[in-house]
Amino acid sequence: MNESAQTSNSIISARGLTKRYGRTLAVDNIDFEIPPGRIVGLIGPNGAGKTTALKAILGLATFEGELKVLGLDPARQRARLMEDVCFIADVAVLPRWIRVWQLIDLTEQIHPRFSREKCLKYLAKTKIEQHKKVKHLSKGMVAQLHLALVMSIDARLLVLDEPTLGLDILFRKAFYTNLLNDYFDEERTVLITTHNVEEIEHILTDLMFIQNGKIALDCSMEEVQSRYAEVMVAHEKADEARALKPMHERQVFGRHIFLFKDTDRATLARMGELHTPSVADLFVATMEGGEA
Amino acid sequence: MATQWNDSQPIYWQLKERTVAMILDGTLKEGDALPSVRTVAAELQLNPITVSKSYQALVDEGLVEKRRGLGMFVCEGARKQLIASERNKFLKEEWPATLNRIEQLGLNAESLLAELANQDSSDAKSK
Repeated sequence: MNESAQTSNSIISARGLTKRYGRTLAVDNIDFEIPPGRIVGLIGPNGAGKTTALKAILGLATFEGELKVLGLDPARQRARLMEDVCFIADVAVLPRWIRVWQLIDLTEQIHPRFSREKCLKYLAKTKIEQHKKVKHLSKGMVAQLHLALVMSIDARLLVLDEPTLGLDILFRKAFYTNLLNDYFDEERTVLITTHNVEEIEHILTDLMFIQNGKIALDCSMEEVQSRYAEVMVAHEKADEARALKPMHERQVFGRHIFLFKDTDRATLARMGELHTPSVADLFVATMEGGEA
Repeated sequence: MATQWNDSQPIYWQLKERTVAMILDGTLKEGDALPSVRTVAAELQLNPITVSKSYQALVDEGLVEKRRGLGMFVCEGARKQLIASERNKFLKEEWPATLNRIEQLGLNAESLLAELANQDSSDAKSK
């Protein structure tokens, strides 16, 4: 995401982005670029600054530093920005008293790029009935309704903050299938935060880890494949592996699993079969102090 | 379809290999259309870039062609080309290993053929 993206067509561009709450730095002087046509996973432990960063991007919080979203300043041009951005927040926020058809009417009145036709098409695939109130829908249905509304907006940036929290596995899978099938294309960009990294790791094109308000890792999934390697090594060879300065070491059944970054693959292959680390393993290694 | 991927090869490569296997076993015939990138991405929960890359690798090997506005199609002669390259791979890589094993176990052509004839006749009996 770094080198190629220093151009003006970035969807999001941050320079020295900082957010303070009193004396606490929630986001600490971060730089990043997100080009169009990517699905970026923003991943970090609780309290790392993910939601704060998203709020700044959506113009919901003030910040220091430079931030451009679709070329606009989210703090000052929020109304204009919202024509091209939509989001689902982790605190599912549809009013409980409203009926489904009222919500569709409302969104149509508020949002210039909302398509009622599309929305009804999505809803037809669900069991959601239009005369029902939000409070009478199941949690999964509320998420489906929210996604139907959001995907019916012709936006260039979709921000999803823990979109599948509390949903069962069928709903989660259907959610991502809809996203890939009906929404995403090379003009659009999705920024997504989640704790369920395993289930989205193949969907992502790029990965961003955030820890203590700083970016701990920022690279494409292709780079993960080419730059990081895991090797399982027998006990006798562990010291040999350690000499190559792995980023992280863990033990499974008396064998050592080392995670290397930018280490010659031929050298590593002599110690054992190379594997690409899962996002979850890479995350743990990075959070436990390995310089990513 | 089972969507298990192994972590020792890139996913685009594994997807390509699956498509190759489908051409070899005739599930995908010459002239057949491949499903769209979007469909495959949604079905297998992969990012579309991975799927495109996989399709591009098939194009590069001359197995699949892009028809403007229509999508991707299995080339005429793709199966023949694959069989030739798979035969070559077998003879160069798998056969020497198998041969090695045969020698290691003290087997030879006669004993192997005798075993084959033996199995054939017991198959015939069981029918």
